[in-house]
Amino acid sequence: MTQTKSLIDENGKRTDGRTETELREIKINVGVIKNADGSAFIEFGMNKILAAVYGPREVHPKHMAQPDRCVLRCRYHMTPFSTDTRKNPAPSRREVEISKVMREALEPALMLQDYPRAAIDVYVEVLQADGGSRCAGITAASVALADAGINMRDIVAACAAGKINGKIVTDINDTEDKEGEADMPVAYMPHLDQVTLLQLDGILDDKQFSECLDEAVRGCKVVYEIQRKALMQKYFGEETEMKEEQ
Amino acid sequence: MQEIRRKYVIPGDRIIEGNHRPLFNVLRAGNSLVSTRVGIAEAGREGVKVIPLSGVYIPRTNDIVIGKIMDHSSLSWEVDINACFSAHLPAQDVFGRDFSPARDDMSRELAIGDLITARIIAFDRTRDPMITIQDKDLGKIPRGEFIKISATRVPRLIGKRGSMIQTIEQATRTRILIGQNGVIVVTGRNADGISLAVRAIRMVEEEAHTSNLTQRVKALLGIPESPSETSIGTHNAHSSEDSPSPIRKGEESQEGKEQNPE
Repeated sequence: MTQTKSLIDENGKRTDGRTETELREIKINVGVIKNADGSAFIEFGMNKILAAVYGPREVHPKHMAQPDRCVLRCRYHMTPFSTDTRKNPAPSRREVEISKVMREALEPALMLQDYPRAAIDVYVEVLQADGGSRCAGITAASVALADAGINMRDIVAACAAGKINGKIVTDINDTEDKEGEADMPVAYMPHLDQVTLLQLDGILDDKQFSECLDEAVRGCKVVYEIQRKALMQKYFGEETEMKEEQ
Repeated sequence: MQEIRRKYVIPGDRIIEGNHRPLFNVLRAGNSLVSTRVGIAEAGREGVKVIPLSGVYIPRTNDIVIGKIMDHSSLSWEVDINACFSAHLPAQDVFGRDFSPARDDMSRELAIGDLITARIIAFDRTRDPMITIQDKDLGKIPRGEFIKISATRVPRLIGKRGSMIQTIEQATRTRILIGQNGVIVVTGRNADGISLAVRAIRMVEEEAHTSNLTQRVKALLGIPESPSETSIGTHNAHSSEDSPSPIRKGEESQEGKEQNPE
């Protein structure tokens, strides 16, 4: 990782004008795909990602079915026009990996034993990529799963943190990912206080690692509030305040 | 005892603390009960539950469903009941105990594509659901307009003691069969009445969780509002979905009703 330019200017602002702890703007729309059982569209900074959930439905091929639990299948895919130069639409090594880690990040939140012999399919389609698309994908997929009415222990929120110019920052974008020193995507279940995904690309010492993890978890909590608002907006409209009569 | 009525929740939300009985769509986490679905939480004397607002149909024993014959083997029909499992209707259920695959022609009784009203007699998630048509008001549906809605909207469509569906039926002069799997068959002599009923059903599906729905459905159907009914409409935005049993009763009364508006 060669450092070509300073990623934090003298005012402490990053390349896109954010402060060290600031997240990019996040927008989530729920239920955007009529034919899916659950869906969500997320704009995470410049990332634009669609997530669709189908199921629980019959498993094909049948031999994949588990007698005691549901099969969760995830597909992360980048459209050819999502990047600067055309991306081959065939699944790349990276996409296969992200599909796997995405499945593993969502699985702990789902109560798969409630739907034995069935399958849940999660499709995540990246329409425009700008770094941190796996986190945005997990965030959208989790909202889509809740929209599909699948039993869940908690919502999974995801956010990255990393190190640029020797400083720990939240929500790494594409430039910072490529030119920075470390990138740590984290998926987190806020109510259960459990981490379901932790990857790290780069080198951090002990202190930096825990600082980075804390920062990522803080970011996840911010993301969770947006997820929550989006779901509330879809199902309860203007009455987003928790109504409680005791 | 602490009571909670109509609290909006998403998965992971804490509903109530303490030693309450979990009914459905709730999970115990430490000392509290949390929701596992997007929906409306209610806690009372009988326990804590979440009425879901989304989700596919999961079969339950004794549900009345509307299914479509997809195929048949020599011993049973395979029926699509709008769930992740296809149901089985044993041939003996129709032909009686002396059924003989060699003698009896199954496709003569129920051909592929036929619609049936059936009751789920057995389902435990380790096997596909088993259904029967041997009961009052069950069996083949000869004609009608076929529509599918989300199964979570069925209680709202029926309304408190069948109020919503009766309103639609009477205003459009149609008869509406509702399966708990979200499959609906509308019959009637007048095509305009059927299409109006379908529009009203779609409206209920899309706006199921909003209040004052009854009033808006009445406006669509062109029914003048009466003050007493208005108050019921605003009040029971979801109270009709109390528990699975009244829903079924409401529905059975619908299907059992032999009223013919024409």
